[in-house]
Amino acid sequence: MIPLDRYPKEITLRDDTHAVLRPMIPGDADGVWRFLRQLPEIDKAHFREDVDQREVVDRWAKSLDYDAALPILAMQGDGVVGSATLYRNRTGWKQRVGIVRILIAPDFRHKGLGTAMIREIRYLGEKAALNYLLAEVIEEQQAAVRALERMGFEKAFVHRKFVNDRTGRLHNLVVLLHPMSGLEEDTFF
Amino acid sequence: MRESGTASSGKKVECPYKGGAFMGLRAGHDLLYFGRWRRMDATAIDVRKAHHQMKRLLGEIAISLETEDIPPARKDLEKALEALYTAESGEGGPDALRYLDHALSYAHRVIGDLLHEKGLPPHSPADFAGWYDAGEVPFREDW
Repeated sequence: MIPLDRYPKEITLRDDTHAVLRPMIPGDADGVWRFLRQLPEIDKAHFREDVDQREVVDRWAKSLDYDAALPILAMQGDGVVGSATLYRNRTGWKQRVGIVRILIAPDFRHKGLGTAMIREIRYLGEKAALNYLLAEVIEEQQAAVRALERMGFEKAFVHRKFVNDRTGRLHNLVVLLHPMSGLEEDTFF
Repeated sequence: MRESGTASSGKKVECPYKGGAFMGLRAGHDLLYFGRWRRMDATAIDVRKAHHQMKRLLGEIAISLETEDIPPARKDLEKALEALYTAESGEGGPDALRYLDHALSYAHRVIGDLLHEKGLPPHSPADFAGWYDAGEVPFREDW
């Protein structure tokens, strides 16, 4: 279990405004739903359910399991302006690989919030003793790719015409990996 | 680390990090970032000076990290030290300058982690450019 006593954590963005980072709780359903609704479609393409449906978000909020999915929200006042989720498997061959998904509200881009959230995920990934963080980004989202690379993620491969958005259009998917300290210490063989 | 100086315009300016957290680290990073060693006409002396500055900066970063619990930053400091060693030892060959640049990038990330842990704004060398009379700012974080 990742220790969460560092939250709530206040951060300062590039424009000197502030945000507070903290794990999502059941009471955040409304705020998260409003946040997701304002995102461009391409940002929501990876969700397996229609997150514009309120009941989907309500269900998530009621069944939070931080060991499986730890969503860290960025709050300004009562509004959600960003989220960074670390997905993990309890068992199986990928239990040391954490999948990272980061979403930033359109009005809060280019302020360093995405980079700040990547920093948080890197910290949490180390505390979870993961070997890798894995991020999947549609190739057109170049700002996100660059931010991840600046924070130590490396492009592992690009799947051509691999994922589709809600209109059915195909996009290239960039997979980036961030090796963690646990990789050097692990000796299974 | 001097806290004030005179710009080429003749105007007296102060280090933008004066009185702020990690002033030495931030100014130390930017001195290297805008350093002569990165220019096309850099001399062997410029590069040697950069090596010394980098060693000092990484030493100061290590001291700052002693009281902080930031595992990714410790890992990045290790990578910075490895890159600096590769640059100094000659193992990097003609890419020695690139390894020195890598070391600086890792150092920048560690400084960013330190600032982030304190809830402070991210480090932007552009803030330093005017004081240092730098010609241009090579990069801008945009996410």
